Amino acid sequence: MRQWLHRIVRRVRALAQGSALDRDLDAEMRIHVEMEAEALVRAYGIAPEEARRQALVAFGGIERYKEAHRDARGVRWMSELAQDVRYAARSLVHAPAFSLSAVLVLALGIGASTAVFSAVDAVLLTHLPYPHDEALVRIYEQNSPTNRWGLSVVDFHAIEAQAHSLTAVGAVQQREVAVTADGEPEQLRTGFATSGFFRALGVRPERGRSIEPGDERPGAPPVVLVDQAFAVQTFGGAANALGRNIMIDGIAHTVVGVLPAGVNELAGMHARIWPALQLDPPTRRGPFGLYVVGRMASGVTLDVARRDLAAVSVALLSAWPSFQDHVARLTPYSLRESILGSAGHTLRLLVAAVALVLLIAVANVASLMLVRATSRWREISFRTVLGATRGRLVRLLVTESVVLAIVGAIAGVAVGAAGLAVLKTIGPSIPRLDGARLDLRAVGVAVALALVAGVIVGMYPVALLLGRGAAAALREGNRAVSGGRHAHAIRGMFVVTEFALTLPVLAGAALLLNSFVRLQRVNPGFDPARLVAIPVALPSARYANDSAMSAYWARALPLVREVPGVVNVGLGASMPPDYAWTFNNFDLIDRPVPPGGAQPTSPWTMAGREYFATLGVPLLDGRLFTPADTGGAPVVVVSRTWAEHYFPDGTAVGRRLISGGCITCPLTTIVGIVGDVKYQGLDGSGDAVYEPLTQGWTQGLNLFVRTAGSPAAVVDRVRAVLRSVDPAIPLNDVVPMEDRVYASIAQPRHLTTLLGGFAVAALALAAVGIFGMLSYTVSARRREIGVRMALGAPHGAVVRMIVRRGMGHAVAGAVLGLAAALAGARWLAGALYEVRATDPATLTAVTLLLLGVAFVACWLPARRAAMIDPTEAIRAE
Amino acid sequence: MTMTDRADLLQGTLDLLILKTLVLGPLHGWGISKRIRQLSSDVLEVGQGSLYPALYRLEDKGWIRAEWGVSPEGRRAKFYTLTAAGKKHFTAERSQWRLFSGAVEQVLSAT
Repeated sequence: MRQWLHRIVRRVRALAQGSALDRDLDAEMRIHVEMEAEALVRAYGIAPEEARRQALVAFGGIERYKEAHRDARGVRWMSELAQDVRYAARSLVHAPAFSLSAVLVLALGIGASTAVFSAVDAVLLTHLPYPHDEALVRIYEQNSPTNRWGLSVVDFHAIEAQAHSLTAVGAVQQREVAVTADGEPEQLRTGFATSGFFRALGVRPERGRSIEPGDERPGAPPVVLVDQAFAVQTFGGAANALGRNIMIDGIAHTVVGVLPAGVNELAGMHARIWPALQLDPPTRRGPFGLYVVGRMASGVTLDVARRDLAAVSVALLSAWPSFQDHVARLTPYSLRESILGSAGHTLRLLVAAVALVLLIAVANVASLMLVRATSRWREISFRTVLGATRGRLVRLLVTESVVLAIVGAIAGVAVGAAGLAVLKTIGPSIPRLDGARLDLRAVGVAVALALVAGVIVGMYPVALLLGRGAAAALREGNRAVSGGRHAHAIRGMFVVTEFALTLPVLAGAALLLNSFVRLQRVNPGFDPARLVAIPVALPSARYANDSAMSAYWARALPLVREVPGVVNVGLGASMPPDYAWTFNNFDLIDRPVPPGGAQPTSPWTMAGREYFATLGVPLLDGRLFTPADTGGAPVVVVSRTWAEHYFPDGTAVGRRLISGGCITCPLTTIVGIVGDVKYQGLDGSGDAVYEPLTQGWTQGLNLFVRTAGSPAAVVDRVRAVLRSVDPAIPLNDVVPMEDRVYASIAQPRHLTTLLGGFAVAALALAAVGIFGMLSYTVSARRREIGVRMALGAPHGAVVRMIVRRGMGHAVAGAVLGLAAALAGARWLAGALYEVRATDPATLTAVTLLLLGVAFVACWLPARRAAMIDPTEAIRAE
Repeated sequence: MTMTDRADLLQGTLDLLILKTLVLGPLHGWGISKRIRQLSSDVLEVGQGSLYPALYRLEDKGWIRAEWGVSPEGRRAKFYTLTAAGKKHFTAERSQWRLFSGAVEQVLSAT
């Protein structure tokens, strides 16, 4: 033990004072030579000069001994490492084409993969910012694997009272409402929440108190929690906010608490202020509009909670006959999963694509290094003959690979940081992507992969040498045929791999592109040109009932219609192509739901009579609304798809239904059929049911305005008119409908763009790989080609020979890739619209594209081969 | 002074010889090589190239200690001294060597 310590100390000293020890050794050896010389003078009486010469000869090369001595000191490898790194750097600088391409390929591979991985990590792998977030669930009503919706007040109260598996449950309702704190009214996203919402999440205000159960009672003094930014902006600080009043939807609320800084959303709901949600006692089971979260008791699994909630659902059926969907169950989902939704799937696709690109990049670099290593065969043989040990050679070559990988990694980190920034700005809008930081673990994994590949390939020539002996290699010179052939086979495998990996990426990108093009061609059902929507939220305090609301619009609409440049105006609660206002269940009188079956549901909205003309939706059958449709005998208008869906025989007009399970309400009659409008996204169905506004108003409506020319000039005047009718109504930004349609397919567009980018990168890498391999073949077989041509082989035959060799690899890779693409097809299925993931036309097209690019990449070196001058090529060796 | 007169040192025996010279007292490098030559009647020649690395190695193992001093002739030199561990090691190695060389001799002189 003490001896070990002693040695370690000495080693460290040797490293630290290397040159001092060298000086020490110098002196010692000098003294040795002097003593020897003096002894010679004494013994034989030779002249001192001669004696010194003899002594030096007897000693031998001092430098060599110093080297041996340094070896004994165990520090040699350090100085050699520095030497190796210098040497590697020099030799890489001397081969700029190789070094640049290798570093570039590595940087792109590492950069892209780390950027995407970091994004995925931030979104998928990180926890939600709540204590024990794995116990949080979101609860839905669900009657089929794909059909789930929100909860009703009845559902919520039943869960509160009866679910034993949950320790806390809370409801929230998000609305855009008019908020007046100081001066101008503002339309703000507001989360009306019960006390259990904050309790379940484990979120406590930083100042003041949370919402308490007493605040939820109808008639209790209204209270509100605000976020830090709102408190600072409105009251100049969190401390000043407590006890102050703000008008929310026309009702004064007292600020009782300020949420911690940085909280701008809770459980995926974005809101600035959180008033207490006061739920009036329900008169029927529906409507289903609450967002409900719960916290499972410790030890309770999702399965236990599911069974518990199912029991609650069954009990509700007998208590509330207005809703008799015997299949529907209250169903808990992990909150994390429900917030991320399909984003998780999208990101996994990106990860798969980028992992393939990284592998292609690494295969490419490995292949590049292999060429370089094989071409250094002669140099390495020389070094061996001159006495370099195998270990030393391995170190030399491995150092070069490592230097390359490190430079590539540094460039990769830069690319990754930039890539992540790009992903955040132009990428798919995914919850929590903003928080993504470049992940060092990801960088580590990518760099390790590059290093391992580099080291393995770097050692390849030494491995060959061990098998063959340096002298033989030297004799063979550059025509080291067998080694070359071996290396060639490996390169060929790399090329096949690259093509096999590229095809699935290409296929994925092409399928998404195909799907996206179809999506873009989808008719949204209305003409978005020169059409704008102005969202208007009437404060519910002053516009509490139908007559107040209809009075406002009765004054405002004629004024807006008179603004010059306005062609048409209409009111609607929904916002096509992706906001349906609500979903409602209904029972068709002529087609009762069989016992135990599920009630049908449909996108459900409210509209004024002019809505259809303004949007350009045609009336196909029956009639539109009239002023006489005031609710005594309720009517609806349905879309063509809806009518065909439920009445395929074409007799929808005149049929009657029960709306929302209200069996005590008068029956609703279908009076007309209009053209389809998309309300569930362009890839959604055209189902829709419209109620006339005259049957029941709502505070939040969109005013659709069709203009003759550019809307920009007209819109300001329309807003001025609206403000003149009631200045207390906040007006939100105008939504140009063309933008809205464009934005509704932002997600697939981003995904297509990103995957397209990866596909181009993969294709380029594969092309570079096959081009590099064949270029090398041509230069290595220069002499042979020269001989063939001297013997009369035509140019065409030479070109064919080279191209055939390359295409053989490309085809093999493409076949493997096609198999992989088919195997992975189901992955992509969810992201596609009207295209099957195994679409033969698309797969054929990408295979042909890949082989076409491969052909060009093969033909270029082949043409060079055909231009070889036979006499020159033969004489060269 | 031709090479044929001299025996090449068996690997590993150099350490033993160095330790032996130092049993008699501290010596500098040149002194060690001279002492080995003398004691072996000019048969064993320690290549200087192997002497100094060997000295370092022995010092590394803690069997000898080195320090700069002044020789009886008034010359500054690095002197090597046997440590207690070195003495123990030497004794063990010496009996090992005697056993070995005796056995080899016995084999070779067998008739």
